[in-house]
Amino acid sequence: MNTIPTDAVTSGPVRSGPDHPAVSGPATEPGTEPGTAAGKAAETAAGSAAGTEQAGYLDEKLAQVRAMDFLQYRSPDLPTWCPGCGYFGIMDAFYKACRELNLAHENICAVSGIGCSGRTPIFINSYGFHTLHGRSIPVATGLKLAREDLTVFAMAGDGDALGIGGGHLPHAARKNIDITFILFDNSIYGLTKGQSSSTTPYEMKTNSHPVGNPDTPLNPVKLALAYGASFVARGYAGDPEGMKQLIKAGTLHRGFSFIQILTPCVTFDKTNRTWKALKEKVCSLNLHAPAPDNMENAMRAAENEPYGTGIFYQDKDRPSYQDILRRMQNV
Amino acid sequence: MKTSDKEINIVFEICGSAGEGTISAGEILSRFMSAQGFEIMSFDAYPAEIRGFGKCVAHTRVSSNPIYSPGKLADVLIALNDNHAISQLSALKKGGILLYDSQPAKPHEEDQSVVARADAATISYGVPLTMLAQKAAGNARGRNMVALGAVTALFHLDRDAFTNSIKDRYGKKKQIVIDSNVNSFLEGFDWTKENIDKADGISFQGVTPPQTKAEQKGEKLIINGNQLVAKAALDADLKFYAGYPITPATKIMEILSKELPKHGGTLLQTEDEISAIGAVIGAGYGGIRAMTGTSGPGFALMTEFTGLSVMAEVPAVIIDSQRGGPSTGIPTKTEQSDFNAAMFGGTGDCPRVVLAPTDTTSCYDATVLALYLAEKYQTLVVILLDFFLSNSIRNIDVPQKPAPKMLNANIAPDAADLDGYQRYKITDSGISPRTIPGTPGGMFFATGLEHDAYGRPNYTDKGHLAMTAKRFRKHASVLAEAPAPVISGMDAGGADSGMGSGMGSSVGSSKGIPDKDGTPKTLDIGVISWGSSAGAAHEAVMTAAGEGVSAAAFSSMMLSPFPEKQLAAFAGRCRKILIPELNYGGQFADFVTKIIKRPVERLNFITGRPMAAEDIVEKIREMI
Ligand SMILES: Cc1ncc(C[n+]2csc(CCOP(=O)(O)OP(=O)(O)O)c2C)c(N)n1
Ligand code: SF4
Repeated sequence: MNTIPTDAVTSGPVRSGPDHPAVSGPATEPGTEPGTAAGKAAETAAGSAAGTEQAGYLDEKLAQVRAMDFLQYRSPDLPTWCPGCGYFGIMDAFYKACRELNLAHENICAVSGIGCSGRTPIFINSYGFHTLHGRSIPVATGLKLAREDLTVFAMAGDGDALGIGGGHLPHAARKNIDITFILFDNSIYGLTKGQSSSTTPYEMKTNSHPVGNPDTPLNPVKLALAYGASFVARGYAGDPEGMKQLIKAGTLHRGFSFIQILTPCVTFDKTNRTWKALKEKVCSLNLHAPAPDNMENAMRAAENEPYGTGIFYQDKDRPSYQDILRRMQNV
Repeated sequence: MKTSDKEINIVFEICGSAGEGTISAGEILSRFMSAQGFEIMSFDAYPAEIRGFGKCVAHTRVSSNPIYSPGKLADVLIALNDNHAISQLSALKKGGILLYDSQPAKPHEEDQSVVARADAATISYGVPLTMLAQKAAGNARGRNMVALGAVTALFHLDRDAFTNSIKDRYGKKKQIVIDSNVNSFLEGFDWTKENIDKADGISFQGVTPPQTKAEQKGEKLIINGNQLVAKAALDADLKFYAGYPITPATKIMEILSKELPKHGGTLLQTEDEISAIGAVIGAGYGGIRAMTGTSGPGFALMTEFTGLSVMAEVPAVIIDSQRGGPSTGIPTKTEQSDFNAAMFGGTGDCPRVVLAPTDTTSCYDATVLALYLAEKYQTLVVILLDFFLSNSIRNIDVPQKPAPKMLNANIAPDAADLDGYQRYKITDSGISPRTIPGTPGGMFFATGLEHDAYGRPNYTDKGHLAMTAKRFRKHASVLAEAPAPVISGMDAGGADSGMGSGMGSSVGSSKGIPDKDGTPKTLDIGVISWGSSAGAAHEAVMTAAGEGVSAAAFSSMMLSPFPEKQLAAFAGRCRKILIPELNYGGQFADFVTKIIKRPVERLNFITGRPMAAEDIVEKIREMI
């Protein structure tokens, strides 16, 4: 169960069998027909490939991933995301970051909220806690304060973190809780099938706003900066290498690390944050001054570079919450 | 506890407006009485607003016998403010004593003075509080101390010992503060001795307090429920407390913010109660003992997380100190109206543990038990306090520290369990061996989704049934080791069968064969109560027994799971059943009715005052 052989990816869905029928298709809430990508558990660990049926392609891909040994961080459970979902790429980068940081599985704890993104910890070979919609940050905070020895990740969708759970982010950031927060930002509600979220662009048509979203979207990086996060970065789901570097840097950062990942919801967003659009727009951050602790530059970039990826801001000297408590309490 | 030959049982009330030192005068009086060896039970009523001139009442019952309830009516009313005291006259006994300021700074209109409004039977003593305070300290601030001096002289209390109590209270302040308080006290004492002709019969002279001073040194705690909860939590190895300020639970957080770091723990003030319970669940998942405290509005916010604690099987303890509700309600009044919310609040089939301490001492036991049960059964435990229990002050024996088995309750998997580890293994007890993060080979995924034995999401009907049944099986296991309900009253021979952990044991009397709990085998009236009303119920059945009514009281600290068998057995012995509680329609009465399947008499108050034994007695008389 716990040490996952690198060939786990070939061992088939663990959940199949009479007692555990495989949950198939997008992990949407029951009720309406799942989206276009129904019925297939995605078999690929790379982000950019759509769910192709070609056996040749799969074999080739499997040979590739087996050659790298980051798959030990993958659980035997196969992701239930739609083929082509950007989340595969995020996971790929996550596994690789863990591998390169050489994190002990049992010391990793991934805490998530509810949403397609909320499923993430199931697919990680570590301790995982799938909590409530919007609440990954409080739970991760309590866990980190209880167990400083653990490497704690909090994961959330844009609806999760900025909508329902929007009240928690400022406080984990300003307290500088030493966790790494990964925002799976697809600018739409995925699991509930395509309603507007807090980052859906103005006027975009969604299932909850068929004639256009009347709300102005939030700017997550700007918020994180304003809330006082000591590490703020943005990655792109089509750039596993870049995301890996950010996740590694965020994990090594002692304090609250905020990483927004631009990612497409291939099923419920056909117009805005598509692979095609992202591929065209995403670029490296063009910060004018190289020093990452320049808040003014970071704010300007947050405003002007909505598709810029990289580290916006990092304050390496700011003590983490627990460091502050120790200092104040002289223990 | 030996009672003295001459007995004392007096309720004092000091009434003033905010800022007049009403509450501190009450506190000094209580501490003095406790130091003298008397039993005390005190509580304060004050406005929710910090400033302004709201009415404050410091209520203290003093007795040479055990006290179970605060006493409904006052024997002595000390009026620091006529305006407010007029509205407090209704709580003064007929023929009670009124002590008032005979020369207030601003003279009252004739009919606006408390003495003019008092009942003709009232024994009134006018003392120039303002004038004497001015004389002692140059300002009127010491009026409350002048009043205490007058009380000391009137009722023959020990002047020097009282002076020491004042010095203790202000010991950390500047000398001038101590001096002006003591001098005001002495002015009041001397003036009263000289000028008042005593017309009442209350005197502490010749009363032997139940405990000698030597006995109680270091062995008695003067403490309220909130302080005791905090103390118990520390003794029970609490390592994490998260909270958001709310009356009446804030004090628990404030105490722990000082004490937890000294015990290697962490206190987190969160942005809201959702976050507080979330952090507690995170810490519980991490394997340490964690708790949060709140009141109605915050408990409402915590509801979604209570389901997660039960579903993902993560230990969590929530204290809900009830106040008037619903919504923001009445922040500084006591009520027992969160019973349904604690027992049934939230969605789904969600078995949780609910404990309600019945008196100050049991706040300690309930806290220790809650942390133990939450850890062992990997579930949510709610402790229902109320404003009265949180704030009322008692002098109690120093509680015994928890036994080691109470401090280390997690059932960890053994090597065999870890082979293909099933975190949510289906077991008879309902408990699945639990690893904590950091344990190699014990990794698992916790979720609020229904799941299989490995923790993986699983929505099959069979799976959901098996997991739900497993979670409910914990109830039977909890009940098997939970403290038994308390049945108390007068045994058939006329002796107090006692309350508290030691159940009635005075078996075998000439007047009839009592039940094994010591109370009569068949009862005219059974009073079934919970939480802070239990003391009044016990006292009421004692009084009723004295009047020849065979009555006994039943209460259980365990509300969920509830000792239904014992309840049914007790109810079976009773001709009539009375359920007193501090809510509008009888939330607990509804619950009991469902178990015993017969109608009950209800006695409900939402006056914001604690349950009074006197009211229960009156109801019993009606029912006979
Ligand atoms: C309290 C609560 N309200 C609503 C829901 C239904 N719900 C589940 S996921 C979700 C939104 C998901 O969107 P997002 O957070 O952006 O994550 P994604 O699915 O896109 O990864 C909602 C509204 C819920 N689970 N809990
Ligand atoms: S986020 Fe969109 S594409 Fe990804 S799994 Fe959910 S619905 Fe499918």
